[in-house]
Amino acid sequence: MTELIQRTDEQRLAEFMARIERGEKIEATDWMPDEYRITLVKFMQMHALSEVMGALPEKEWVPKAPTLARKLSLMAKVQDEMGHGQLILRVAEDLAVPLGKNREDLVNELFTGQAKFHNVFHMPAPTWADAGIIGWLVDGAAVVSQAALLDSSYGPYARVLQRVCAEEGFHIQHGESICLALAEGTPAQRQMLQEALTRWWESLLLFFGPAETTSASATILLKYRFRTKTNEELRQKFFSKYVPRIWSLGLTLPDPDFRWNESTQLWEYTAPDWSKLKAIARNEGPLSQYRLGLRRISYEQTRWVREALLGGSSARAV
Amino acid sequence: MGVEYRIFEVFIQKDHGSPHVWVGSVDAGSPDDALLLARESFLRRDPAVSIWVVEQHRIHRTDYEDRDFFARESDKTYRMLSGYNKANAERWRKYKKNLLDLEKDFVKD
Repeated sequence: MTELIQRTDEQRLAEFMARIERGEKIEATDWMPDEYRITLVKFMQMHALSEVMGALPEKEWVPKAPTLARKLSLMAKVQDEMGHGQLILRVAEDLAVPLGKNREDLVNELFTGQAKFHNVFHMPAPTWADAGIIGWLVDGAAVVSQAALLDSSYGPYARVLQRVCAEEGFHIQHGESICLALAEGTPAQRQMLQEALTRWWESLLLFFGPAETTSASATILLKYRFRTKTNEELRQKFFSKYVPRIWSLGLTLPDPDFRWNESTQLWEYTAPDWSKLKAIARNEGPLSQYRLGLRRISYEQTRWVREALLGGSSARAV
Repeated sequence: MGVEYRIFEVFIQKDHGSPHVWVGSVDAGSPDDALLLARESFLRRDPAVSIWVVEQHRIHRTDYEDRDFFARESDKTYRMLSGYNKANAERWRKYKKNLLDLEKDFVKD
């Protein structure tokens, strides 16, 4: 009997891989190998929580935005990020059910450190130019990596990403608008922009992760075509899209060795300090604990809303 | 409390001439809240005239693995425009006439 079940699982895995190789989309209710389910839940959980945590450095600038128009766009953006978190959590929770986890577990694992959030959101945003750089380059890096997932093997995630990417397209234009205004502004504004770029450069390199992706989850994501591009391919694409634009504004990268290598057709750059990524993964980045604290406070302070929404439904259900 | 969030599938009709189209789903405690969350999640920019929310477990659906249900004869061109228009256009050319086109000659003209 055991042998029979074993064989069936092997057959199912073979069918599953054949579907992946034919470019078919996997749906939430389909049979899937455990490692696919577990790795995807982890990935989407991190994506969703990063959307939520990504709103925190930006919302710091809502009260301090220089004009009403900027304040409105920034508010819209913060709202979008929270919306993305909701949509992606919704997709993640469907896959997590057979693992015995619900939506609340996925959210709470942020506080216990079992779930991570993206390295860039552990960093400070001390000036208005940082808000601009986040929109222009951090969201630009996010669009590069998310657009590469639009043909992901997991159907529900690929579908939700279409909406996410469309809205990120607005965010990068907003960020560009801020940075272009500063680049064409006073010497002090130009200097502020240059300082923000210098501050964010290493984080932007760390954003895509190490070139040699040997981690178990990275291998699984590639094997099942959840993603098809490597970290380094995405980083190179980011350079190609953005570095010429950075230079055209008269800004300089804080890396004297950065250059285009004609023979390899690759950008060469000084590697960032990868140990920083590991520290951030342990929530030991510059603002990791501060931002987790903010998130904890807001989660606790809105608990009554979540409970009231449930209370209302039970009254109506009678 | 015994009451849990439920999953509601969301369908949005962008104008009266278009069908309701599935856009995603939301977690909500009641249908009213689901409508509100659907508006906030999916209509922050685009206009619309109607939203439907349906509790996910109320939806009857086919199984993705049930390929037989969607099995079809190999050649369906006898049901399709493409089964006729090319050859007809070729013939009309002899009479110096163009093939009539639904969109161009009937709907728009």
